[in-house]
Amino acid sequence: MKQKNTLPVVFLSPAIAILAVLALVPTVYAVIISFQNRELSRPDGSFIGLANYISLFSDRRFINAIGVSLTWEAVTVGMTLIIAIGLGILLFECASPRMRSAVCFLFLIPVILPRVSAAFVWKFAFHPLYGIITYPYKAITGQPLDLLSNPLTALGTVALVDVWQWGLFFAVIVLKLLETLPPQPFEAARLDHAKTWEIYAYVAIPMLKAPLISLAFVKMIESLRAFDLIYVMTRGGPGIATETLDMYAFSQGFIESGRISYASSMAVLMMVATSLAFTFLWKRVKS
Amino acid sequence: MSARSPGRFIGRIILYAAAFSAVFPVFWTLLNAFKNRVDIVTPTPLFFFTPTLDNFAYVLGRASVFEGLVNSILISGASVLIGAVLGLPAAYAIARYPNRWSHDIQFFVLSLRFLPPVAIAIPLMVIWLDFGLYDTRLSMTVTYTLLTLATIIWLSVPAFARVPKEVEEAARVDGYGPYAIFFLIALPIASRSLIGAVAFSFVLVWNEFLIALMLTTSDAKTLPIVASELTQLGRDVPWGVLNASVVLLSIPPLLFIGILSGMLNSAFKRKTS
Amino acid sequence: MTNGKTLVSSIAFACLLAGSVSSIAIAAECSGTIKVLAQPRDGLTLLEEQKPEFEKLSGGASFEIDYLNENDRRAKSKADASTIGKYNVYYIDEANVALFASSGWVAPLMDYYPADYDYADFDPGRQKVATYDGKVWFAPLTGGGDLMVYRKDLLEAAGITPPKTLDEYIAAVKALNQPDQGIYGTALRGQRGSGANVWRWMPFFKGFGGNWFDGKTPVFDSEAAVKATETYLELFKYSAPGSQTGGWDEVVGAFTSGQVAMIIESTPLVGMAIDPKSSQVAGKVGYMPPPTPLTGGGYGHGLAIGTKANADETSKACAGLFIAWATSKENENRRLEANQFSELNRTSVMTSPKFAELYGPDLGQALAETGKVTAVNFWQSPQWPDLGDRWGIILEELIAGTRTDIKDGLDELNGFAKDLVARSQ
Repeated sequence: MKQKNTLPVVFLSPAIAILAVLALVPTVYAVIISFQNRELSRPDGSFIGLANYISLFSDRRFINAIGVSLTWEAVTVGMTLIIAIGLGILLFECASPRMRSAVCFLFLIPVILPRVSAAFVWKFAFHPLYGIITYPYKAITGQPLDLLSNPLTALGTVALVDVWQWGLFFAVIVLKLLETLPPQPFEAARLDHAKTWEIYAYVAIPMLKAPLISLAFVKMIESLRAFDLIYVMTRGGPGIATETLDMYAFSQGFIESGRISYASSMAVLMMVATSLAFTFLWKRVKS
Repeated sequence: MSARSPGRFIGRIILYAAAFSAVFPVFWTLLNAFKNRVDIVTPTPLFFFTPTLDNFAYVLGRASVFEGLVNSILISGASVLIGAVLGLPAAYAIARYPNRWSHDIQFFVLSLRFLPPVAIAIPLMVIWLDFGLYDTRLSMTVTYTLLTLATIIWLSVPAFARVPKEVEEAARVDGYGPYAIFFLIALPIASRSLIGAVAFSFVLVWNEFLIALMLTTSDAKTLPIVASELTQLGRDVPWGVLNASVVLLSIPPLLFIGILSGMLNSAFKRKTS
Repeated sequence: MTNGKTLVSSIAFACLLAGSVSSIAIAAECSGTIKVLAQPRDGLTLLEEQKPEFEKLSGGASFEIDYLNENDRRAKSKADASTIGKYNVYYIDEANVALFASSGWVAPLMDYYPADYDYADFDPGRQKVATYDGKVWFAPLTGGGDLMVYRKDLLEAAGITPPKTLDEYIAAVKALNQPDQGIYGTALRGQRGSGANVWRWMPFFKGFGGNWFDGKTPVFDSEAAVKATETYLELFKYSAPGSQTGGWDEVVGAFTSGQVAMIIESTPLVGMAIDPKSSQVAGKVGYMPPPTPLTGGGYGHGLAIGTKANADETSKACAGLFIAWATSKENENRRLEANQFSELNRTSVMTSPKFAELYGPDLGQALAETGKVTAVNFWQSPQWPDLGDRWGIILEELIAGTRTDIKDGLDELNGFAKDLVARSQ
């Protein structure tokens, strides 16, 4: 018979206790400050109830930021998956084993790069006068191309960097997933004279449905971390065309006006929204 | 596999192009880091030029860069160490001793990642200010421990789960206690994946930006903050210096690329065998 | 938790006990590192080469300068000063001197400024900018007004005489704009910020007779503001690429790389435009006061003593000594030697034979003339940065075209200003 084992308690409790304290204290704090009117330069705040939340909903920039954030999530998650699946299949289909491992190695570079570095590398590449990406356009048309200061293209240009980092990385994972599939269904489909794209669309991708949904889930979470790229590349500009929720909360709470309570109310709303959405999605993924 | 076909050829071209896009921007930055300003600010990009080490000399000579480097090493190192010491045993307990809370605990650890960083950073800023610990290495290390601990637990649970049960069973028959099994059997067998998990958490905090931006102003500034300040300098834009500082910031994570790619391989290979 | 790096520490008790209250005697016993938060200036870079001199002068103290670009420097110094205040010396300017002084984040400079460094020698205009509420708060590092700078070669080729009025100026900008040859009529600042796009917009606003406030009531949703904005947006059609979200740096870069025909900018631009090391158009540059009715944007940047990091009198005196030394005649002369035109602030240096020899009589005359139209364009209040930054964002949206109704934007700003005035009471 198993005797009473102390290991689970000894091993689990310190880590879980620390995580709980580190996660719960700031959450509770955020809620408390959000009911106050604290500012960075005036730490003695008084309670003002729901006033911050009420003014949020008449705040034009907040409404705009919700839209930008949702667009960002949709674009980066969608594009990343499309690129990842496309390149993953190409790697599986066209590349020799040696080429596979070499390309996989290179595909890991972007995602490991600090986002600040990635943002700068591309910001410079997109520079309208000295950029290497914009150079061909400038050489052919004689006109400079300024994608980051055009409100229509700025967000897409930043999103490109995010997709560059994650799409290539996920392509490697898609390849590894394809490699885990048993070869029999492929051979059966080939014997039925299925075209290559049909094999993937009707056989391979459906078999990988579960892990691909998990990948989408991971990317949704990671896409919440848009801040670094936007901070370095556009600062939310031009105007407020790329101002996501975290960028706006940051500038209200810290740099622009130090209205820490107002920013906290945004933070609380974001926490509630993401926790609800991801808990719901997670339960669906698991079931 | 089919023989040579036009489709396959086009596919390869696309793959080469993608690989090129992964490397070229980084390579271009590296090249620019060795250029004088006149060679960067040209209407036509230059591939051949007289290289200079001035940019690196400037970056490395600045006290702020050196302090940022020291801060980054100490803060990332300490938080990864604490995360590993506490997180690896916790992950083992979750993997090997499932109970009715295991799922909830795993979900709780994962759900920490759902929190938008800015939502953690804003209240933490107030907390550290109130405690008088704002802009110190201690407060940064504690904050980062939240990230490393959660990440290490999350990534190590599957690594421990892949350790064959029979091996542990055999050790138990040989008279090993539960702690001895963890230290002498499970830890060494899973070590390759575990090193990957720890390295990943290091890269994560080394690259972290938003929280450091809000929780430091001068003494505890980490390297990404210092580099971003350099890249925003403007005024006569010292492009060469900017490129050099970005290169410096990116070297440590790139050193781990081998370990991480090994982790990816082992994670997927074991599953099939 | 204490960090290894202690701030300026006080070991001057001996001097204090001896009863010597002379600030020099106190300051001569400084140690540790004086932390400075600044924006990049050639003058400060030059200063870093003289660390040993300061160490000797102060009795062992050193200094360390952290650099941030202008917008970030403003934001970060405000965030730092309002929270823990880790910096001994702040780089402040015309736009935030009122905020820093009235919040008690900086100390009155003259209480700690050694008399023999001769503060009265600074240009009177710059002294005026450094004064708020009857006290002096910073020692100037740079400052001035606006100049219209133009490419003599391009104007001659097009047969255009340098414009004297705004209408002539606009017509000339349109005529000179040749994007297909890589030449743009002008370059403006589009980047948000009270010291960026708003700074360049204000001469139009003030020139057309606009006012910020009538007593405590915001009144800037006026005809003048609408007309100023319309004119600014009109000129933006001929502005160099990159300037739509760019600031001073992009504008300077565009002009010195030869892409811009004519520009109205802060006076330091001239220094950079005529310096062959930083400019590809060095020999082709002319300058004049801005066309009427524009008012030049008077400004001044300088160093001030932080109060939080310098808790005791001794460390304040040490910071004061550092500021005095950094802006001293010796150091200004070094900047003159290094051809750093925009880093000069002292009357004695700008009237020196060496200055005339380097820059000729023209520049001195242009500076004197533009001094006459230089004015304080912004709202002199601690709340100015908040208000200016908010307008900066709206203006950036108008420039980017994501917003088209000028009047609507100004009304929004008026509402914001009312809220701001109400909150501060």
